[in-house]
Amino acid sequence: MNNISTSPIISADGINFSFGQGELRKQILFDIKFQIQPGEVVLLMGPSGSGKTTLLTLIAGLRTLQEGQLDVLGHTLSGASQADLLALRRKIGFIFQAHNLLPYLTALQNVQVMFDLHPEVSPTEGRERAIHILQQVGLGDRMHYSISKLSGGQRQRVAVARALVCNPEIVLADEPTAALDGTSGREVVNLLQALAREQQRPILMVTHDARVVDIADRIIYMQDGRLTNNPHDAEVLTSLPGGHQ
Amino acid sequence: MSQRIPLSWLQLRHEKMKLFAAVSGVMVSVVLMWMQLGLLQALFASAVEFHGSVNGELIVIHGQYEYLLRNQPFSNRLLHRVLGSPEVLEIYPIYSEAVEWKNPWNGERRTIQCYGIDTDKSAINLPMLASQLPKLRQTDVFLYDRKARPGFGPVLDEFAKGTLIEPEINRRKMTLVGMTDLGASFGVDGNIIMSHANFLRLLSKRKPGELDFGVIKLRPGSDVLKLQAQFQAILGKEVNVLTRDELCARELVYWKRATPIGVVFTTGTFVGFFIGFIVVYQILYTDVTTHLPHFATMKAMGFSNGYLFRMVLTQSLQLAMLGFIPGSLIAGLLYTGLRAATMLPLQLEWSRGFFLLAATILMCTISGALAIRKLRTADPADVF
Repeated sequence: MNNISTSPIISADGINFSFGQGELRKQILFDIKFQIQPGEVVLLMGPSGSGKTTLLTLIAGLRTLQEGQLDVLGHTLSGASQADLLALRRKIGFIFQAHNLLPYLTALQNVQVMFDLHPEVSPTEGRERAIHILQQVGLGDRMHYSISKLSGGQRQRVAVARALVCNPEIVLADEPTAALDGTSGREVVNLLQALAREQQRPILMVTHDARVVDIADRIIYMQDGRLTNNPHDAEVLTSLPGGHQ
Repeated sequence: MSQRIPLSWLQLRHEKMKLFAAVSGVMVSVVLMWMQLGLLQALFASAVEFHGSVNGELIVIHGQYEYLLRNQPFSNRLLHRVLGSPEVLEIYPIYSEAVEWKNPWNGERRTIQCYGIDTDKSAINLPMLASQLPKLRQTDVFLYDRKARPGFGPVLDEFAKGTLIEPEINRRKMTLVGMTDLGASFGVDGNIIMSHANFLRLLSKRKPGELDFGVIKLRPGSDVLKLQAQFQAILGKEVNVLTRDELCARELVYWKRATPIGVVFTTGTFVGFFIGFIVVYQILYTDVTTHLPHFATMKAMGFSNGYLFRMVLTQSLQLAMLGFIPGSLIAGLLYTGLRAATMLPLQLEWSRGFFLLAATILMCTISGALAIRKLRTADPADVF
């Protein structure tokens, strides 16, 4: 038991990653090495183009690892099959910069549809859990609204509910506050933190937003494709929210 | 009880205009296929209406019989040879020839098919025929086909009013004494039926005892195929002894080989299929393209390619059903209208319905399967 809880859920070593081929080849990540422990809330910060999002897509199994060791939730990503990557992604709760909800579904349906990935959960139970979590994010009275009728902050709260409803083993968030004003962004981050704490979920959040650093157990800074311990190297605190890469 | 979210349907109906366009496309395609196949089948069915109605298991025709309107008579004496067999109940000689009908109301001349039958026996199984046989024994009288095309005059209406109808047929004044049903076909606009004697009076060039069809009625339980071979051997090569089905098939060979009917309507059916295929493909393809970011999101969250493929295929099946049902109803209405206008036996048949449903599903599935290829371009790495 102790053994399980102390082994890292993400462990990266010597990751290099490049886009393009030949002359046009451009290296994005250089010798990345870090670990995330169970239950940790970690922010990944750095200026635009520093490689944060690329690193996130590698961790999520959305891109093929080129070089280095990367273990996520017990899956070794080096040479992993598509089926393996798919299995990994089902254990992850995703929150995207733009909410990425399905516009043809209501708020409740957007959350409920996640149980299609978990056939072991009955439709009735799935619906109950979706309703419960929407109440937790304060949308109990708007569950049946179509996405187009919700405000930006409300949409991102639906996205938080969708990411967490199936009890993911980790939440990966990519600038979840970037499209929101200060107040809504704060609300979303608070909700995310509260729910993750309650469920003991670790969070890895890529962000530009210096206003949310207080939720973090730990901050990893990134500059020009390398991790750095010095936040000033990464000019994080001088960067403005709302940037996008 | 909660159900799983009907994702495909919710996505499909999200854009009402596109859904309407797609369903209309399938509908047009279904109507077209019904019409083409229906007409093809009706034309073929009408061509063998007489052949299929003869009251016997075996039919003797001349060896050079090509089709109803191009035939050589053969001698009645040949036919009588089979009477020696204890299995033969009756033989019915039938004469058949095109004659000229002069419309008594406007004097127009048109060709009508004339059958001469034995008035003592029911050679043809037609409604109301048996009871009217005694009437036909009079001189210069005939029965008229209620399903004849218009053009011979207001025969039905006037007859119903009790008007005496005496058209000139082959320049001989004949009297209408009753009605029967036989039906128009491709080659024939209408039919009249009369006795052998009256037939021969109309057609002086025809020799008595030179038949067109010799119908053989067998004792129930006889071995039809064995007797067919036996009679063929007895009668010799000048004539052919056919079963009723073979006779119909033989008639259809002419219409299928010598006319473009089959090709025309089969091509029409494929055109209908193709139209539906293109419309459904276009709609599903643009739909997949529109929703590509959503599909990418779903892939990123762990939905498999198979799940998304099934989603698009389900949509194609939904389009198939949504188009097939109203399309078939419209085809039914058109059939009713065309039946009145052409006198062709158009029927919404279950078997054709199942065939067309299968064709519609196939059409939509192929479209869906092709549209799915676009789905592969949804890159989940793009969502971050």
